[in-house]
Amino acid sequence: MTTQPHTNLENETMTATTHTQAQTPLLAGRNLRKTYRLGRRNTLQALAGVDVAIRPGEMVAIMGPSGSGKSTLMHILGLLHAPDMNHGPRPELTFGGRDMVALSEAERTRIRAREMGFVFQDFNLVPTLTALENVLLACDYAGSTGPKARPAALEALALVGLSERAGHRPAELSGGEQQRVAIARALVNRPALVLADEPTGNLDSARSEEVLALLRRLNRERGQTFVLVTHDHEVGAACDRVVRMRDGRIGGVDR
Amino acid sequence: MASGPAPSIVAASKPLEEINPMHTLRNLFRRRLRTGLTIVGIAIGIWALVVFGSMANRINDMVGNGSTYFQSGVISVWSGGGSVPKSNPIDLAVGNRIEAIPGVAAVVPGVSLNLSDDPSSVSFGLPPMITAEKPGLSDGLGTFVETAASGRLLTAADEGSNVTVLGCDLALQYGMHVGDTIVLRGESFTIVGVLAQTKTQPDNSAIVPFAAGQRLYLATLPSVVKANLTAAEVVTAFQVYPKPGIDPATVAAAIKALDPELGTMDASDFDQQAGSYAAMLDDVLMGIGLISLVVGGLSVVNTMAMSIAERTREIGIKRAIGASGARIVREVVTESALIGFIGGVIGLTLGAVAVTLANEAGRSSDTILFELTLGTAVTSVAFSTVLGALAGLVPALHAARLDPVAALRYE
Repeated sequence: MTTQPHTNLENETMTATTHTQAQTPLLAGRNLRKTYRLGRRNTLQALAGVDVAIRPGEMVAIMGPSGSGKSTLMHILGLLHAPDMNHGPRPELTFGGRDMVALSEAERTRIRAREMGFVFQDFNLVPTLTALENVLLACDYAGSTGPKARPAALEALALVGLSERAGHRPAELSGGEQQRVAIARALVNRPALVLADEPTGNLDSARSEEVLALLRRLNRERGQTFVLVTHDHEVGAACDRVVRMRDGRIGGVDR
Repeated sequence: MASGPAPSIVAASKPLEEINPMHTLRNLFRRRLRTGLTIVGIAIGIWALVVFGSMANRINDMVGNGSTYFQSGVISVWSGGGSVPKSNPIDLAVGNRIEAIPGVAAVVPGVSLNLSDDPSSVSFGLPPMITAEKPGLSDGLGTFVETAASGRLLTAADEGSNVTVLGCDLALQYGMHVGDTIVLRGESFTIVGVLAQTKTQPDNSAIVPFAAGQRLYLATLPSVVKANLTAAEVVTAFQVYPKPGIDPATVAAAIKALDPELGTMDASDFDQQAGSYAAMLDDVLMGIGLISLVVGGLSVVNTMAMSIAERTREIGIKRAIGASGARIVREVVTESALIGFIGGVIGLTLGAVAVTLANEAGRSSDTILFELTLGTAVTSVAFSTVLGALAGLVPALHAARLDPVAALRYE
């Protein structure tokens, strides 16, 4: 059960090294800082300078207490926000070897659509659309429509075990099922990177285990890179690596 | 062991994504009451636009066909001065003096009087009239040709008999046909013909032989005036045809110089008067358009702004998973344009029903006020659709600028 490697980058890294520390990172950030302005005088430094590297095929958990900056880090890695440029050393962010810092909003949107998948804590499906249509939305934004997109979307739903629920609206699905639809939507374009913000946060422990096992299986079978932001130690334990955040900095890396 | 997919090379160009119309409709029906009220608001505006637009069409028709009448260069002459034709008595002999003016080709004496003195029959637009002119004089001179829809037109041979040709609206109003008898100012006339529609004064006229017209007219005058007149010598107007190449205005000036009591109207006078009337109507129409623009537009802005506020999270998720700002704008604008379109179609339908009912009701009382043209119909729906799209643009741009992360956290 394989997926075809698409690019030279992948071939080079895979032939030059196996899963070793020396591998070229898929995603690498240096000097990542983010300060939010909450009021006229009141600012919040969410990221105080973070260096991080995610290798292809890895499943990494970012953990830490509330306010430690883990979500902010995910938003920057997922190109939803840009790192601060205006003070301190220049931030760097590369994805697949390309510089992301200088990209325009439109270019970042494009990369999000085509090369990244997102899973959020509260599922965030479009309520008026069926499970299949929600998945198709991601195809649509990635520029794939019609006869190409539909089989891909059905396949993604099959992958998460929801083929029979394709025609149901989110309100007709359980929380676990909704999250699996969201995972299918994140995977449908076969992105290199899937970012998940508390993917099990709103699920009971049985559903939580189910979703976690699914993510782990997809990571192993399809070799996709997963970055999970989580509070859940079981999620952390299931990952290859845990990046611990504290006060806007990386406090340590397990394994 | 397999390797995973790596970042694909972003394609050079992205096809324009299509907006699924079913998704747009579903979004609209998520908030039935609000969407419904907005659509009703637009429908009322478009209804008003259709009704008043149809009225303007009808009146512009009258004006336009009246203008065609004067296009031949004919000058209307009446007694009493002023710029509006009057039905005052003039001596038939005045026609001979006008005919003597250089550049005059023909002078056709005529009589016109109100069909009825009953003030309740005064109608919007053109009043019903009895008209008559001396036969055989204007043949081949006018560019305004009347034709009979049924029966025939009057000829010189009808002089002396009580026959009449009715305008189409008049015939419809009285429900009369060729061969029926109609009482005009106390005298019975046999209908020998019904005119084809002209969309101007003749539609509302009963044409009678010249002598009969003179007799009926004289009978309407007060006895003091009547005492000094004989029916054969009285007319109310002359239609003066200048020779080819002669400026009607020059002839008109010469006619007024004969007697300051005479009033004249030629093509330029008519266009000026009728034009100002038409322009006023256009202003009224424009005003109604503007009101419906403001009212309808604001309610679309409000509806879309609220629906976007409700959908903040949804827009956030769409942006996060890769919808471009332009895509969000298109989704919202498509939705608001659809509101405008539906409102426009409903307004047009209701307007068409109202116009048809009013015209049907008006047939019996001679007030056919409306004419709904294809142009008016298309314009009103196009107007409401564009209005909806433009009104949606403001909330759409707001939605496109939302920060996806903040939008995702929005409760």
